[in-house]
Amino acid sequence: MIIEALEIVFLFFTLIMIAYLVRYYIFTVTVLRRERKTKNLPISNEVNYELTVSVLIPARNEELVIGRLLQRMTQLTYPTDKLQVLVIDDASSDGTGQVADEFARRYGFIEVLHRDGKTGGKGKAAAMNAGLERSAGEIVLCFDADYYPQTDIVEKLVRDFVDPEVGAVQGRPVVLNESQNMVTRLVTLERIGGYRVDQEAREQLGLIPQFGGTVGGFRRCVMEELGGFDESMLTEDTDLTFTICLAGYKVRYAGEAECYEEAVDSWRAYWRQRHRWARGHMQVCFKHAFKVMFSRKLSAKEKIDGLLLLNLYFIPVVTLASFFVGVSIIFLGASQLFSALWLLMPLSFYSLAGNFAPFFEIGIGAYLDGRTRLQFLIPLVFLAYMYNMLICTKALLDLFAAKLLGKKQSKWAKTSHFGDRNRYI
Amino acid sequence: MQFKNNRLITILFAEAIVLCLIAAFRLINLETTVTLLIFNMLFTTVIFQLKGSVNRKLGLLSMGNIIGLFWSYIFCSLSAAGASVFGEGFNVVYAIFYPFVNFMWVVSFWSLSLALLAPAKNADTEG
Repeated sequence: MIIEALEIVFLFFTLIMIAYLVRYYIFTVTVLRRERKTKNLPISNEVNYELTVSVLIPARNEELVIGRLLQRMTQLTYPTDKLQVLVIDDASSDGTGQVADEFARRYGFIEVLHRDGKTGGKGKAAAMNAGLERSAGEIVLCFDADYYPQTDIVEKLVRDFVDPEVGAVQGRPVVLNESQNMVTRLVTLERIGGYRVDQEAREQLGLIPQFGGTVGGFRRCVMEELGGFDESMLTEDTDLTFTICLAGYKVRYAGEAECYEEAVDSWRAYWRQRHRWARGHMQVCFKHAFKVMFSRKLSAKEKIDGLLLLNLYFIPVVTLASFFVGVSIIFLGASQLFSALWLLMPLSFYSLAGNFAPFFEIGIGAYLDGRTRLQFLIPLVFLAYMYNMLICTKALLDLFAAKLLGKKQSKWAKTSHFGDRNRYI
Repeated sequence: MQFKNNRLITILFAEAIVLCLIAAFRLINLETTVTLLIFNMLFTTVIFQLKGSVNRKLGLLSMGNIIGLFWSYIFCSLSAAGASVFGEGFNVVYAIFYPFVNFMWVVSFWSLSLALLAPAKNADTEG
């Protein structure tokens, strides 16, 4: 009886993992086919309409990197009379505010919003809401302080807003400090799989590309209609993605709008960042899963993809659980059905590795990006996935504990940036 | 003449792949055969869409099948030897580690194949 029950649980877990595997396979094949069809078509960078744009830069203790980004803002090719750059110095205790003030003195389109310890320090979502109130542009773009965009990124991100149904656009982050160590290299591979293939495919298939909260933007009127960022969410960007889609607007992915980012450079920092992402994503899943399921504004394929996206951070937990359930069945005496299913475990294990992108998706992403040497590291992404199993399990337990104890998190959970190592600048 | 040689090479590679599958089924076990089939399916539907000659890709695919066959053979031999030396308990240990080791060769060979096919794409881009 116990064995049968465990086998049913194992079968359920296996089916979930196969569903994700099929999704990734479709994504990979879609991007490859599309690449063959469009590779010779030039990307038009002409923008015939010029919307007013506000660039929000929420920053808390980012004095080491904020100057680099603001310097880049002065080099943007978008007309400065239609551009507002707003630094939100959110109760920084270092020289972030001074650096930003210095730029604001020299350039008229750069402004600084200082928030002290009383009003500020309540998290990125709160800082963004404060910035949103002060911003004036029709389109609001956001960049984290450690980012370094292309000079024509505003044109590339704004282009899709010509369609009034588009509520948000996401660009592509590219790791800046890739060559620093093994962690940054593995993060680079995850990012390549996630953006070069995963986001690209979702865009091409008319699914739900994810708004990442940075290197992207949204329509100001849509944001006002939706009431701004939900400050109780740890991943306000994922929350916004679904809020926008459920309101009937589209999220688009503009892969050619590249922006360089500083990736986490140690396993400890990786744990902190991914733990926040996992917990926040799970929070968003609990908030939106039923709304997505019963929404009248989403198509069937958007609903399926939306649900798979919402449940993404549960998958490492499912993988870990299925392994332990499987091992228990082996000890108790496995049936033939189980033996056949156990055969699929390696495929599932290796197919979900890499910020939950499978090895073949990452491989194709690296190939399309021309990253030959990086491809040799793909087998090691599995280590990161095993680490993610622990991270996501801890995040789930923490989320339940917080629910039970009624704790709310509304403070900055940020990654330290140093701005001293890069590959591209 | 060149065309005929190419066809001959294609047939030889295809034969090698089929032989590997038969050998896996007859000499090793069903699991190995299924693993090879999954590898072949992924390889043909994804990597065959990349730049490069068909024979080059078929060569890589047949090499992958041979590596997979030997990998599984070694692990099955290890399992049998371990069971005879340490008893049936070794089979349980083998089954636990199976999800980690079985696909290792697929991922490694996948990254190697992409790296080998990359020059064709880069040459195309530069050209």
